[in-house]
Amino acid sequence: MIMQIICNILLSFFIYTLIALSFVLCYYPTRFFHIAHAITLTFSAYFTYFFSQQLHFPLYLSIPLAIIAATAVGMLSEIALYKPLRKRNASPMILMIASLGLYTVLQNVISMLWGDDTKSVRTGEIKVGNEFFGAYITDIQIITIVICLALFLACVFFMKYNRIGRNIRAVASNPELSNIVGINSDRIILWSFGIGSALAAVAGILIAFDTDMTPTMGFNWLLYGVVAMIIGGVGSNWGLVGGALLLATAQHLSAYYIGSQWMDAIAYIILILFLIGKPLGFSGKRLKKIEI
Amino acid sequence: MEYLLHLLILVGIYAMLSQSLNLSAGFGGMISLAHAGFYGVGAYTAALLAVNFGVPFLLVLPIAMLLSGLLALVVSAIALRTIDDYFIICTLGIQVIVFSLMNNWMSLTKGPLGIPGIPAISLFGVAIESKWAFLLLTLFFVALIFFFLKKLTASSFGLTLRALSEDEIFTQSLGKNVYLSKVISFTVGAMLAAVPGVLYAHYISYIDPTSFTVDESIFILSIVIIGGMRNLWGSVIAAAFLVFLPEVLRFVGMPNAIAANMRQIIYGGVLIFMMFRYSRGFERKAADNLF
Repeated sequence: MIMQIICNILLSFFIYTLIALSFVLCYYPTRFFHIAHAITLTFSAYFTYFFSQQLHFPLYLSIPLAIIAATAVGMLSEIALYKPLRKRNASPMILMIASLGLYTVLQNVISMLWGDDTKSVRTGEIKVGNEFFGAYITDIQIITIVICLALFLACVFFMKYNRIGRNIRAVASNPELSNIVGINSDRIILWSFGIGSALAAVAGILIAFDTDMTPTMGFNWLLYGVVAMIIGGVGSNWGLVGGALLLATAQHLSAYYIGSQWMDAIAYIILILFLIGKPLGFSGKRLKKIEI
Repeated sequence: MEYLLHLLILVGIYAMLSQSLNLSAGFGGMISLAHAGFYGVGAYTAALLAVNFGVPFLLVLPIAMLLSGLLALVVSAIALRTIDDYFIICTLGIQVIVFSLMNNWMSLTKGPLGIPGIPAISLFGVAIESKWAFLLLTLFFVALIFFFLKKLTASSFGLTLRALSEDEIFTQSLGKNVYLSKVISFTVGAMLAAVPGVLYAHYISYIDPTSFTVDESIFILSIVIIGGMRNLWGSVIAAAFLVFLPEVLRFVGMPNAIAANMRQIIYGGVLIFMMFRYSRGFERKAADNLF
């Protein structure tokens, strides 16, 4: 039983890290909560369903197509909505509410196109997972863990050594100054929205293969990512990892001892405890607008 | 006709909700996504007291307001440590916690099964069962809340609220107690949100947690923003607009399932449009409001 809990914690931990990372890439240079990011995640799952089940494309073709389509949704929202608003000097709160509006619109578009019921992309027969020290773990869960780990490491190296990654960090620390030294901040923000959306799209597909999809699935997953980010503190990759680990551990332990229906509430109770006790998160970077 | 009365009662309930949110979000600058939670606390208090103990309406109302106010007091002590977008995330968290309490605390709220058989309101021995009578009662409360908020926001306390929503530090430098004013306006807003909750529970006579979700909070916030920040009349008109919208869509021949989605798409779109109008911040002249 202990092994099973550890396995579940690990699985959630890797997915939370991936989602938090994808969210941070959008949050970091722009400093606003891109709620419609949840829709990127949902869209990628539904596009996979659309290509593989409705158009009968093979999986190796439909998954990349879905990732590209979902990334396009994320980048389009930046081009068509956030950039014009930023040009009008909108505050992060205005951007967040606009994003909430966009989320409402797109979520209902998905509901209209594909219906509210659960859709599945799993085609093969259901089989018992691999036994692993007394715990059961399915193939797709192993793939999830490997992909999340690979993407996380790739992202860390990208942000540190790649030119675009370094430019993203420059824009995050001071947009005006980076404009002065010749970095086009709008293009860099578009890049980071693109990368963030692609990561979220991958997460969406992995989740869809593990637990199927509904039009509202993205919101909860995104909020777990946001909670992990706030716990960890923005701007530190390892803080993010710590936040995701703490969140996953607390959720699964409470699911075991109290009941799995309280997992949502536990995530927010942790968030609130952090806002009271350690408002700057693990990494302690001063980014949060706390106390005047 | 019965259906039209039903819709008018719903307009009244949403008008009360959006007016009470307008106090904290519009005047106080604290945009909250926990309002459906307070609404739900009111409804559940009414349902539990009326079904289990047969408490009369005139006693239920103050108890529900008190409980909702107490919750808001605790919440504001936590959430007001943050401002703006972090405040929204924090209230969103509280909304989810309140919802999962309603949904999972089986022994008290019966979870997703809901609470059936809430009796009709009886005032001074007269049971209010017809829709006409209930509509009059709702309108009475809408008017009461409207005039209360009108008086409150025109008072010196209202001026302090407007000032702090525009510049907190400056307001503090004038010797106003910013934190206390925020706590008061948030708590009063939540207490007023319990009133439509009580009315709703007695009116529908059956409640379950799905009426008090995050989506409902987003909907109430949309009413406030579409109607215009600090514009109490606007809230009433926007509530009427958004409640009648799906009926109009159905009237032009849209199937039922699509009309519901279409309404959300329209109010999401209007929300985005309003953000372009408000892009320089909410502390604008009344000229920016739609109504």
